[in-house]
Parts: sequence; C-alpha cells; structure tokens
Amino acid sequence: MILAVARYAYPNAKVRALRSRRLTAQDRHFLLEARDFSSFLAYLATTPYGRVLPDLEGEVPDPGVLERRLARSLMEDYAKVARSLRGKREQELVLALFSRFESENLKVLLRALFSGLGKQAVSHLLYPLGKLSALPWDDLWACNNPAEVADLLIRNPFGQALKHAIPQFNVQGRLFPLEMALDLSCFQRLKQAISGLRSRSDRKAAKRILGPYVDMLNISWVIRLKIHYGLSHEEIVNYSLPGGELLTLSNLHRLARAEDISKFMEQIPRSLQREIGEVREWEDFYPYLETWLLRLLARFFAGPPFHIGIEICFLLEKEMELTSLITLLEAKAQGLSPDKTVKKLPRQFSEVAHV
Amino acid sequence: MFRPVKLTRLTIQVPEDQISAVMAVLGDLRLLHLIRVEETHLGHLGYVAHIDTSLLEHYDSLLARANRLLRDLGPAGPSSGIRKVPRPDKAIFRLEEDFALIEKEALEPLERKKKAKNAISEHEALIARLQLLEPAKIDLDRLHDLRYVTWRAGLIPEENLNKLEQSLVDTHHTLIPVGRKERRVALLAMSLKEDEEALLRALKSAFCDPLELPPGIHGTIGTALDRLSAELEHLKTEFAGLDTKWAELTRKYGTRLKCLREEILLARQLLKAQAEFGQIDHTYLLTGWIPVALFEELKKQIIKATSGKVLVDQVDPEDIKEVRSGILKIPILFNNPMLIRPFERLTTLYGTPSYEEVEPTVFLAVSFLLLFGMMFGDMGHGAILCGIGYYVFRKMYRYIDYGIIIMECGVSSMIFGLLYGSVFGLEDLIPALWMHPMEEINHFMMMSAFLGIGVISLGLILNLMNVIRQHRYGELLSTSGLAGALLYWLGVGLIARYLLSGELSPFEVIFAKVAAGALIILMILQRPVRAVLAQRRTGKKGERIPPGFGGTILESFIEVLDDLLRYLANTVSFVRVAAFALTHAGLFIAVFSLADMVRGVHGKGLFYWVTIILGNIVIIALEGIVVSVQTLRLEYYEFFSKFFRGGGKPFQPLLEEEEFPGHVTRS
Repeated sequence: MILAVARYAYPNAKVRALRSRRLTAQDRHFLLEARDFSSFLAYLATTPYGRVLPDLEGEVPDPGVLERRLARSLMEDYAKVARSLRGKREQELVLALFSRFESENLKVLLRALFSGLGKQAVSHLLYPLGKLSALPWDDLWACNNPAEVADLLIRNPFGQALKHAIPQFNVQGRLFPLEMALDLSCFQRLKQAISGLRSRSDRKAAKRILGPYVDMLNISWVIRLKIHYGLSHEEIVNYSLPGGELLTLSNLHRLARAEDISKFMEQIPRSLQREIGEVREWEDFYPYLETWLLRLLARFFAGPPFHIGIEICFLLEKEMELTSLITLLEAKAQGLSPDKTVKKLPRQFSEVAHV
Repeated sequence: MFRPVKLTRLTIQVPEDQISAVMAVLGDLRLLHLIRVEETHLGHLGYVAHIDTSLLEHYDSLLARANRLLRDLGPAGPSSGIRKVPRPDKAIFRLEEDFALIEKEALEPLERKKKAKNAISEHEALIARLQLLEPAKIDLDRLHDLRYVTWRAGLIPEENLNKLEQSLVDTHHTLIPVGRKERRVALLAMSLKEDEEALLRALKSAFCDPLELPPGIHGTIGTALDRLSAELEHLKTEFAGLDTKWAELTRKYGTRLKCLREEILLARQLLKAQAEFGQIDHTYLLTGWIPVALFEELKKQIIKATSGKVLVDQVDPEDIKEVRSGILKIPILFNNPMLIRPFERLTTLYGTPSYEEVEPTVFLAVSFLLLFGMMFGDMGHGAILCGIGYYVFRKMYRYIDYGIIIMECGVSSMIFGLLYGSVFGLEDLIPALWMHPMEEINHFMMMSAFLGIGVISLGLILNLMNVIRQHRYGELLSTSGLAGALLYWLGVGLIARYLLSGELSPFEVIFAKVAAGALIILMILQRPVRAVLAQRRTGKKGERIPPGFGGTILESFIEVLDDLLRYLANTVSFVRVAAFALTHAGLFIAVFSLADMVRGVHGKGLFYWVTIILGNIVIIALEGIVVSVQTLRLEYYEFFSKFFRGGGKPFQPLLEEEEFPGHVTRS
C-alpha cells in the first residue's frame, strides 16, 4: 500500500489537476444551446479547448479540420500522464491506449497510399500525435505500398499485424483487412500491457476499466459491421476485440446472429441490459453505452486513488468528452437543434447542462 | 592564392548546326560557369533556346538500358574514364550500336538466369509451405478426391484461433492445427461443400494467409517434397552454370558499360545545358564566366571545331554595367594549392567570399593549424591523428578533404609536441624545444594573448584591403576600419612598451591620450557627420540637420563603446588557446594518476597499460573534438568577423562532379 502511495501520489495529483480542466456544466450548457456554428466556436474559444483552436477571426474553419485540432488537447494529456508515471510497464499501458491514435494515423497513411495521395492532401485527417509517438513517420510517408509499411514497422506490433494481414489485402484488393488488423493489434497490445503490470491491484483496476470499455466497443462494432457493413456473423466474431469483461466470444456470436433489435437486447448480459434497457433504435446504443461507461469511470474516481486505474479513467473520460464535443460540433455545423443533438450524446453531457 | 581566379565573361554566337561541336569543346574545358539566359535581357525577351527533346529522350532510353544492364551484370571494375567529351548528336549513333552489340550477347543469358532464379524462389517457397503441412502426413490425392467435403490450408495468427473456432460454431467443420511459424498456426480447415462460403468467410476474417498448392502436386506431402527437392537441386545446378556465364559477361562488358553510361550522362548534361542558352532564329547565343587564362585556348579550339563559323568574344568584368552596379555577381573560383584546398570547405561553411574580397582560405588554413597544434601539442597523438587522416584519405573517397585536414592537424600537433617535449603525455622522453606548458603557465597565456593580437591585427589589415578594393572608403573612419585598427594598435603598442621596459614616459602618456581621444571622437562623429552631409545633398532647403540627429549620435557612441569592448573581448578570448593546451596536459596528469592508482591495486602490469591506453583514446577523441570546435570558433568569431562579409556566388562548372561521376581525362 505504502509503495502504491509513493508510486501514484504524483501521477494522481497530476491527473486530478488535468481533470479540473474538463468542460464545466456551464460550458456544456452554452455549447449545447449555441444558436449556430459560429456562436458555438465563439463559446468554445473561452473554454480550455480555446487554446488549440485556430484563429477564428477570418473564415469559419472546416469542422473536419477542427476535429483533429481539438484532439491536440487529448494528445498533450497523454504525454503528460505518460511522463508522470515512473514504471516502464505502467507507461506501456498508457502507450498501448495511445497506440489507437497511432493506428488511426496509420490508416490515413494507408488510405493515402492506396489512393495515390500525398501527405499534404490528408494532413488535416491526422491526429497531432506529438513526441509521444515513436513511429518513424517521415520514413513511413516515404513508403510506396502497404508491404513497405509493414516491413518498416516489423519490430512494432503494428508491423506484425500488417504483415499477417497483407495476404488478405492482396486477395481482397481493399484496405479493410489492414485497417482491422491495425485496430486488433492495438487491443492485443493493450491486453498484453494489462497482464504485464507488476501489481495485482493495478492489473485488477485496469481490467475493470478497460474490460467494459472493450465490451462497449465490441457491441458498437457488432452493430456497425452487421447493420452498416452487412458482414456475416462468422466475420463479425473474428473481427471482435480481445480483452472484454462482460461479453464472451459466444455472447458476441449470438449478438452477431440476432435478427432484430429486441433479439439483440436479449443477448446482452443482464447487468448491462439494466443500464441500457431504454434503447429502441440501433443508433441509440452508443450514447447509452457511453453513459454506462462514464458512470463506471466516475465510480472509480470516487474510490481508492493509488492505482493505474485513475490515469486510465482520466484518459478515457477525456477522450469521451472529446468525442461528445466533436458530435456537438458536427451537429452545430449541420444546424441540428439541441433536442436532436442531445440524443446523440451521453446523458452526463446534457443532464447537468442547465444553468 | 589570396584572390580567386580572375574570370572574364565569354560570349559565343554559333549557328544551330554547330552547337553540338561547341558543346563538346566546352565539355572538354569544364571550367565554364554558364549564365542562364533567363537572367539576361535576351531571356527577358523570350529568346530562350529549346532542347532537342527527341535526342534527349533517345539518351534517356539508352540510360535506362545501361542502368538495367549494369544492375543485372552487377558490380564491375572502375571506369577507364572518357578521353574526349562526345558531340551529343553524333555520339548517339555510336552508343546505340555499342549497346546493341552488348545486349545481343548479354540479354539472353541474363534473362535465363533471372528465370532460373525465379523458379528456385518459387520451388523454395512451395517446399516451405509443404513442410508446414508435412506433420499431418496428408495424402493430397485423397484430399483432392473428396466429394462432399471442402478443405483449405493456411496460416492464421495464433490469437485468432479461438475466434475462428467460435465463428464456425454453427457450421460442421474441423480445424486441424499442423504446425507453427512466426506466431502463426498452420491449419487445415474442412467443412461440408455446402458450407464452403461460410468457411471461406471465417478464414478470410481470421486473417488467413492461404497456403495454395499448385495442381501438379500429387501423392503424400513427403513424396511431393522429395520430388520438389530433386527439381530444386537440378535448378540450382543450372543456375550455377548461368552464374559462370554471368561472371564472364561482367568481366567482359562491365567496365565498358560503365564508360558508356558515363558518356550518356555527359551527353545528357550537355543537351540539358542548352536550355540555358539564348536563341534567335537559327543562332545560339551563350554566355558565361571562364578563367581569363583559358580564353585564348578555348577560342582557338571552338574556331577549329566549327571551321570558323562562330563569334567568340570576351568582356572584362569592369566593363559590364550590371557588375559595376552589383546586379550581376561574378562567381568565385578558388585557387588554392592542394594542401590548402580542403580548408575551402570551412571557408564556405561561413560564407562564399565575393569576387572583390580577399580570399581568406590560406589565412584560415595557417591559423587553424597553428591554433590546433598549440592546443593539442603531442608527438604521439599527432602521429595517431595523421594515421586516422591517412586512413580517411585512402579509404573514404567522399571525405578525402577531411582526411587531408586531419593529417595536417596531426603534423601540426606533432610539431608542437616536439616544441613541448610531449609524447603520449610523457614529458621526459624528449627534451622540450620551447617549453613545458604546465611549467610556464603565465608565459604561455601571454603568448596566447599575443597570438590573438596577431590574428586580430591580420583580420584588421585584411579588412582595410577589402574596404579599399570595394571602395567603401566611408568605413575607414569607423571602429572596424582604419580608425579602429589604429586605436587597437595604439593600445597594443602601449602594453608591449610597458611589458618590455616598465613605466611609460610622460610624453608617451600624453601622446596616447590625445591620439586615443581624437580617434574615439572621430569614430563617434563619423556617422552623424555623414548623415548631415547626406541630408544636405538630398534634403529639403532649410533642413540642414536630419531628423533624429541626437539619436544618431547616441547610437554611434554606444556602437563605438560596444565595438571597442569587443576588441578587448576578442583578444582575451585567445587565452583559451593556453587554457586548452593546459587542459591537454592536465588530462594526462589525470590519466597517469588513475594508472598509478590501478598499479597500487593490481601491480604494474596489464591493467596499468590498459588504463594508459584507454586514457589516451579518451583524450584523443574528447579533446580532439573540443579543440577542433574551439579553433573553428576562434576563426569564425574572432578572425573572420573582422573582415569577411561573404555574399559571393560559387563557381558552378558546366559539368558538376555530383551529377557526373566519371572523369574526363584529357588525351
């Protein structure tokens, strides 16, 4: 216990300080109620996110460009949290979580290669990863095809995953296998990072936070792959992420085979069903799942503080705040009313959003 | 040596049908810095020559063929060089014929070798695939004959095996892992024919790398492997035969091909250079800079090559209006002896001198070696530096200049080692011809300061020369000009006088005070006075004093103060020469003390000498770098800053070495 206090006193203080820079209830209220996109941006500039926004004096910036600009704040927090941790294994867990953004940038790179575009043409789609990313980006952008990318990254989990997916990329002639391989490799790395943690309490905390997070992603992926991509249940199971807590492979298989939303709900474990029981439409799932996860994260912040879970909770919470902000940004850019927008957001974003 | 090569501007007017002949002569000469027609009046009017694109494309295709052949033939001996620069329009026919001959003999065996190599790779890959399935002892014929069952073999990542099993839970299937390779499982998957689609979907999404077996493989895997291994042996024998033939071809044509490739590159460069010429109807006009000494010879050769159908003129740079007004810069062609030439790199690192400036490389080289030697004086270390320099000089062509510099630094170090009586830090092996730095620290520091005064004075003299050459007479009264130099020398003279014979006489003191006061007032007032004079020439009537005059005087006062302080700081800065020489000796003391401590523990044996050797290596590496950096610092900040303005344009010969790797040898 004393060792844990010594190890996590500084990271914990750091995270609490960073957490104080979240959007306040008042911020969320005015952002949600902003009458148009420019008012939304004008208010956003007064929040902690204002620092990463471009100059708003001239033309109204493109929402796509803004999304990645806003992410800079999250990337900086990742760097700060990683720096605050002393142990290599604890840092590896944060880096494994961070690798999801590296994977997103790698996907953009692969798409650019596939369509013969240069870095300049897609630079607005890239996450500003900063120095935390140790991948050789300049060399990667100089590659001519995915096989070269895989060779260059061969000492990295991404390289191994890409190498294994290249045969399917060659057979199918599309990037889908490579993109899925990148996603899966991040979560495989995350799973290994959790089991690599030294302390049992750290392992337990990380599993209890990241397990439900993976469950949430798996449910939304099943919906996405089944409804939007029309994939078969055999494929959906194979594309599921490792490391979930509530959902087993057999659960996921049954979810993938469910014919309609009511059958789908029946296959969801009871504990989770209670949390998201009001879902009626496929697109409602994600906000409900987010609400459930945010509640879970909040419980962790109220509990014992000296374990790696606090850092992970903060990073996930911040990421979800960013996701909500981006949803809101897109909604404002499309001119959606606050009532319609609220349905796309986790309940925490709106339930205290009145002043 | 102290000035760049004197250049003249060359102008050639030549009819279209003779341009190739002129290009060949210019290519032979090499020392021509072309002036791009776009930078001239003719270029502004749009009279820019066009490249013969079809000829250039022909050369491009020849180059591609040469590159392919050279790549296939592999490394050959060095090229014998090109005796005469080709005329691009004529040479193409000969080159085409030469290539056709080589290709006729070489292409067919090379193609066969490539095919044999591919066949070997395919066989090896197939064998590797079959070896993965070998443990299952499968009879392929029986698998092929299955009527109601379908099967697939492949490699899937280990972590996907459970998911694959789960994804097929509703399908009658069997998954047989038969081996492992690089964290992947070799798998034989089977299902009913009617479930083939589901099986394929599951395998696809489990990132299966299919092990496809060609239709010609029959029997058990063991039998198939035996047969394939025998075929592989046969292919390897065939390949060895072709390899001998290939070596023969490389020997026969490698060098020739390299030479031909160089000719092609040269011809292409000449053709491309034509884009920098002017053209009016069927006449080409080209201008550039060449050394004055080469002009007559070049003119003779061009007239001979074109049977007199050419006009060759030279214009003295002084007569060119654009040069006088500074719009057109004359390029700089360095002219230094072989041992000084490598230091041109250090000069150009600071800047390229302008045509009118003193070319400082020789001063840089001498002072660099002197300062380095003083700071790193040791016979043994100097000898090692010499050896390293010689190795770089002989083995690393790209760093040949640095090799020479290191060798020269080594020699300087050895000379000073002799003067200090130091060999690998041992000061009792040879007598010191001058002094042991550690024993005469004060004297050595004073010597360093006087060396600094010498170097700074040299910089001031060179600056005066530049001021006069560039007609910047106004600067003579400034702190960096004659007034500043006189004040500096006055101060130096007084100190020298005091050190040599004690107190100064009253007359000397009064003279120094009056002279220094006059010079300082002159330096402070020169700029404001010039500003007033300029105002009188250009300003409105009645406005005799320029606006902000008080500010100008204050600025001038502060500038003079700053510059005078800088003279003092620059001089004192040279004391570091003594400091680093003492550090060098001090490090030896540390190494020997360490070795003595080791001897105390282990006796005077292996460990003692290992400590001495390691210590010397550390001193050479660490101090070598530090001393080089400090010397360069003194050169750039204390010496060059006194006179070197730079801003010149480097001479770019018609055929750059970087683009053209071969050497043109004159016949």
